[in-house]
Amino acid sequence: MNMLMLLLRNLARGPSTDAFPFGDTFTPERLRGRIRFDPELCTGCRLCAHVCAGDAIHFDETDEGLRFTLWHNTCTFCGLCEHYCQTKAIHLTDDWHLAHLQQDKYAMIEQGVVAPAACAGCGCRMTAPVPALTALAYRAGNRRIEHLQTLCPDCRRKAGVTGGRS
Amino acid sequence: MPDMLSSDTLSLLFAVLVFPGGLFALCVGLVLKGLDRRLAARLQRRVGPPLLQPLFDLVKLARKRTLVPDIACKPVFLAAPMVGCVSMALAAALIPIPGVYDPDPLLGDLLVVLYLLAVPAVALMIAGSASGSSYGAIGFSREMALMLAYEGPLLMVLVTVAIKTGLAQGGVVTFSLSEIVRYQQEHGAYLADPWMWPAFLAFLAFFPANLGIAPFDIPEAESEVLEGPLLEYSGPPLGLFKVMSALKAVVVLSLGIALFFPTAPAGAPGLLVHLLKLGVLSLAGVTVLRTAIGRMRIDQAVLFYLKWPEALAIAGLAAVLTLA
Amino acid sequence: MSFIARISQRSPWLYRINAGSCNGCDVELATTACIPRYDVERLGCQYCGSPKHADIVLITGPLTLRVKDKVLRLYEEIPDPKVTVAVGICPISGGVFRNSYAVAGAIDRYLPVDVNVPGCPPRPQAIIEGIAKAIDVWRERL
Repeated sequence: MNMLMLLLRNLARGPSTDAFPFGDTFTPERLRGRIRFDPELCTGCRLCAHVCAGDAIHFDETDEGLRFTLWHNTCTFCGLCEHYCQTKAIHLTDDWHLAHLQQDKYAMIEQGVVAPAACAGCGCRMTAPVPALTALAYRAGNRRIEHLQTLCPDCRRKAGVTGGRS
Repeated sequence: MPDMLSSDTLSLLFAVLVFPGGLFALCVGLVLKGLDRRLAARLQRRVGPPLLQPLFDLVKLARKRTLVPDIACKPVFLAAPMVGCVSMALAAALIPIPGVYDPDPLLGDLLVVLYLLAVPAVALMIAGSASGSSYGAIGFSREMALMLAYEGPLLMVLVTVAIKTGLAQGGVVTFSLSEIVRYQQEHGAYLADPWMWPAFLAFLAFFPANLGIAPFDIPEAESEVLEGPLLEYSGPPLGLFKVMSALKAVVVLSLGIALFFPTAPAGAPGLLVHLLKLGVLSLAGVTVLRTAIGRMRIDQAVLFYLKWPEALAIAGLAAVLTLA
Repeated sequence: MSFIARISQRSPWLYRINAGSCNGCDVELATTACIPRYDVERLGCQYCGSPKHADIVLITGPLTLRVKDKVLRLYEEIPDPKVTVAVGICPISGGVFRNSYAVAGAIDRYLPVDVNVPGCPPRPQAIIEGIAKAIDVWRERL
C-alpha cells in the first residue's frame, strides 16, 4: 500500500529527469574537469609531475623551452597538481565534456611551453622564477632579490657567497 | 463448392494473419508495451522511451546478425520462436472482439485457446533447452515449475465461466467463447456479479506469470539467469520472441475481457471500447503491479500460485456451482 | 540514410563488461541507468543481460590478465553491428594501474574501441554524452 501511495505521488509530481543530452544540465561549482595550464605562471619545479597519481604529467626539454604535457586520458582529476602548484599555473576547470572519438584519443592533451631565459651572469639557458612565486615568498621585493631572479642556480649560489657582487 | 471453400479459407487466413490476429494484434500489443514502459517510467519519475519504442526495437533486431551457438540444436533453436508466434496469432483469431468480431466456430473454442496459451511457454522451454546454455536450462526448469503452478487456477477459471454460462442457458457447460460473449451482452457482464469476483481475481493473478512480468518474470530474470531461455538468441529470432510476447499480451488481456466484461456497442465504437479496456487492464493489472513489487523467488512464486489463486479459483467455482 | 536505419538507431541496447574495474565506473553506469535524473531510456537504451542482445558495449576497468580472454570472448559474442565505448581512464590507457604486472594494458590494443569517456569515474552526464557519440558512430554502421 505504501508503495502504491509512493507511485501515485511520483505520478503526480512528474518526471525529475535532467534535460541532458537534449538540453542543458547543471554543473557543480567545484567540479574538477579539464585541466588548463598557464606557462606564464610555471616555474618548472615539476612538483605536479611528482605528485601525479595517474602519471599523466610529463616535462621535457625542447628547443623552445620546458614543455609541459598532460594527457587527460590517464588523469584521475584528483586535483593534487593544482593543490601543490605554488603559483597555480595548473587549474582544474569545471568543463566535463571530455567524451571523444577514438581518433582523438591522443589529442586529448593540455600542453604549454615555459619560455627559457638567459642567465644575467653566465648567459646559460634557464627557467626563470616567476614574479608570482617571489610575491609568495617575500612580501615585498628589493633590488637584491630582483637581481638574484635573473641568475641561474649556479650563479645564484656564487652571488650568495660573494654577497651579490659578481 | 471449391469457390466457397477458397473464400472461407481466405477469410480464415485473414482472421489469423491480419485482423484480429497477426498484424492487428501485433500493433495493439506493441502500443500496449510502449504505454506500459512509458507509464512505468512516469511512476518512477522518469520521462521514459517514445511510445513506439517496442517497434523501434523490433526493426533494430531485424537488422542484427543471427548467432547460433555451436552446441545448439539449430533447427529447433530457430523454429521455437516461430511456433510461439504462430500459436499466438491463431489464438488471437479465436477470441471474439465484442460487437466487432465473432470467430468462426470452425477455428475452435475456449479449450483450443487454453491449449494455444500453453504453447508460448513451451516454445520458451524448447528454446532454452535447445540453446545448450546452462542459463537456458535454468530458465527452462523455472518456466516449467511456474507453468505447473499457474495452469491449474487458469483451467478452473475457464471452467467456472463455461459452467456459469452453460447453466444459465439451460445446459451444463459452454466452451464457445462467442456464446459466452453473447450471453453477457444480453444479461450484463459477469464482473457486475460479486460471486464471480474470486474467479476474476484468480485470472488477474494468472497473467503476470503468463506474460513474464514482475513479480513473476523469474524464468527470464535478466539479473539472475541473464534472461534465461532468451540468453543465446540474437537478431531476428529474438525479435520473433518479442513479437510473440506482444501477441500474447493482447491474447491474454482480450481473453480476460471476453470472459468477464465484454459488454460493448457494435461496430467501430465497439472496437474503440475494446482497445480502451485493453489499455486500462494492461496499465492497471500489469504496469502498476510490476513497478510496485520486486521479483519473487521461484519457490515463493510457486507457493503463491498454489495458495491464493488456487483458493480463489476453487472458491469461484464453488460459488457458481452452489448458486446454480 | 534510409527510413529503416533512422528507426533502428533509436533502439541501442547497452551491455556492460567489467574488465577488472574498481567498481567506481560501474556505480556511475548504474546511476546513469537507474536514477530518474539520468534516464537513458529516453534515448531508447536498455541495459540487457546477454551480450547477444547488445548493440553498444560499455567496458570499464584496466583489462586485468585474469579477465582478458573472457572479455575478448564476450566481445566476440556480440552480434554486428556493434560499437565499443571505453568508460573511465582505465580501459583507455590503464590509468593508475598502468604498468602493473597484473594488467594487460590499454583495451584498444586488443579490440577496436570507438568512443572514449575519460574520468575517474566520469560523471553520469559525461557517460550519456559518450553514449550519444556512440549512437552517431553506430548509425553509420547500420
